[in-house]
Amino acid sequence: MIGDFIDGPLWYFSAAVFVIGVAWRLFAILRLRGRKKVLSKPRNTTGGGALATILRRFVPYREFATVSRGRVIAGYVFHLGLFALLFFAAPHMEFIRDRITGFGWTPLPYWGFIVASQLAFFGLLLLIIYRLMNPVTRLLSDAGDYVSSILVFVVMLTGCMALLQASEALRLLHLFLAEVLLIYFPFSALMHTFTFVTSRGFSGAVFYRRGVNY
Amino acid sequence: MSNNVSSRNRHHRVVLYSLLSLLVVTLVLPLVPYAVAELDPFAGKVANPGAEFWRDVRQRDRGVSGSTQVKGVDSGVLINYYGEEWRQFRMQRLVPYGAALMGVVLAVILLFYFLRGPLRIQDGPAGSQLQRFSVTERTVHWFTAGLFWFLALTGLILLYGRYVLIPLLGPEGFGVTATACKEAHNLFGPLFLVALLMLFITFAKDNVYARGDMKWLLKGGGLLGGHVSAGRFNAGEKIWFWIAVLGGIVLCVSGLILDFAVFGQGRVIMGLSHVLHGIAALIVIAVSFGHIYLGTAGVEGTLGAMTHGYVDLNWARSHHDRWAREVEEAGGVLTAEEAARRQGKLSASQSSGEPVTGESQ
Repeated sequence: MIGDFIDGPLWYFSAAVFVIGVAWRLFAILRLRGRKKVLSKPRNTTGGGALATILRRFVPYREFATVSRGRVIAGYVFHLGLFALLFFAAPHMEFIRDRITGFGWTPLPYWGFIVASQLAFFGLLLLIIYRLMNPVTRLLSDAGDYVSSILVFVVMLTGCMALLQASEALRLLHLFLAEVLLIYFPFSALMHTFTFVTSRGFSGAVFYRRGVNY
Repeated sequence: MSNNVSSRNRHHRVVLYSLLSLLVVTLVLPLVPYAVAELDPFAGKVANPGAEFWRDVRQRDRGVSGSTQVKGVDSGVLINYYGEEWRQFRMQRLVPYGAALMGVVLAVILLFYFLRGPLRIQDGPAGSQLQRFSVTERTVHWFTAGLFWFLALTGLILLYGRYVLIPLLGPEGFGVTATACKEAHNLFGPLFLVALLMLFITFAKDNVYARGDMKWLLKGGGLLGGHVSAGRFNAGEKIWFWIAVLGGIVLCVSGLILDFAVFGQGRVIMGLSHVLHGIAALIVIAVSFGHIYLGTAGVEGTLGAMTHGYVDLNWARSHHDRWAREVEEAGGVLTAEEAARRQGKLSASQSSGEPVTGESQ
């Protein structure tokens, strides 16, 4: 009964909330563009500035490279591991093929899954603990940041617990938490998955236009 | 005429007695070995061909394996004799003795707490503070501790779950829990190796033997009264560090052998690894109870060292006087306000307005 609900209606509802919510928030951000007319003469191209900043921010500033090295490595390790798990873990690929796209691709081998999950957990745990331990990041963080991190962690954890697919209860628990995450996603800091592009792009465009090498 | 009748009757009797004799012999002959076995005390030693066959199958007395078309580690072994030894060790030694060890340590800690109570800061808190652990040190500590306790809990569920959880969850519920714990334990295990390496790199330099450590040990670390001098880490903390590191190495090596059974390790090596893994885990878990007690309820003012990173000056003078002197001479004593500001505890209106960047990484 509960299993049918999680597998059926709740999945469609959460997917709809995710898609509509993300689209609505991105639309709300993009429609702000051009709302205020800038009269000054442009010193540089905005498009180039946006693209350059989007790419350049993948590398930390030289001045902070040493101080932030650990966090940057942990961040990359977590995000790359999570990406690999999300799209290339065999059970996920099958789910996406059967329920979303209708086509599949070559999944990670088992050892690849193990490596990706180790990297993702390593990075996420370190980042959560660092957020708590550093007084600056602790001051900057609100409850939403912790909820997002913990939700992602438990989704990953239950996914690994259900890895062998030996128990239907564990699979449903993982799917249920993933659905909660999808519903929570558009209203949280997890939106940075998409908004990092608009955020960096906007900053880069504005400053390049002013002639600032940002 | 009468001769003929007599001859026929004799013939009938002979046939009848012959048949009866045959029947008796047929019935009695198979019983002869049993009768012999009953009468002859050495008859039971006669080798039974069937027993010989099964002895070969079990390979109880021989270190040879059979031949088979199936290629793989131990594929020539039909019944692993050492499996039974391993099972008996696990059920009759590891499980009860491990529970007893943890129970005794917990009982001693509780008894000590009720008899002695928490160790108070001599002369009470001074107010001024010293930074004891940096952000990096605390992050590494909690990363290792978090992984350790996650692995400990999932491992203890696998070891003791059938006694504790089956009555609560039922066999099916425990089956799901055990499956989940096994997967999570296997997955997080290799991460502990990384954590252990980080812990060693971060803390090893301050945990080598130094002059005064033996004196500290002989005086019982001051737990029973009196002051004992110590540097940044006392001898007790150093012993715990090396138990954690060496026990952790045993746990990691044996765990990796169990986790990745694709490098040709056979059942015997797997069984030995399991035994070592269980013993090392239970010892480290039991000792960690003491570490947790002394880091929280056992010694006043200690927990803050690992949460916000700062300790009271009098706490440092009470428990780590040599280290406190070094920090004082280096000008590392902070006022309560400054320490609170560095910990991010003061709001902007309460603080001097300087950015919160003073804490060392």
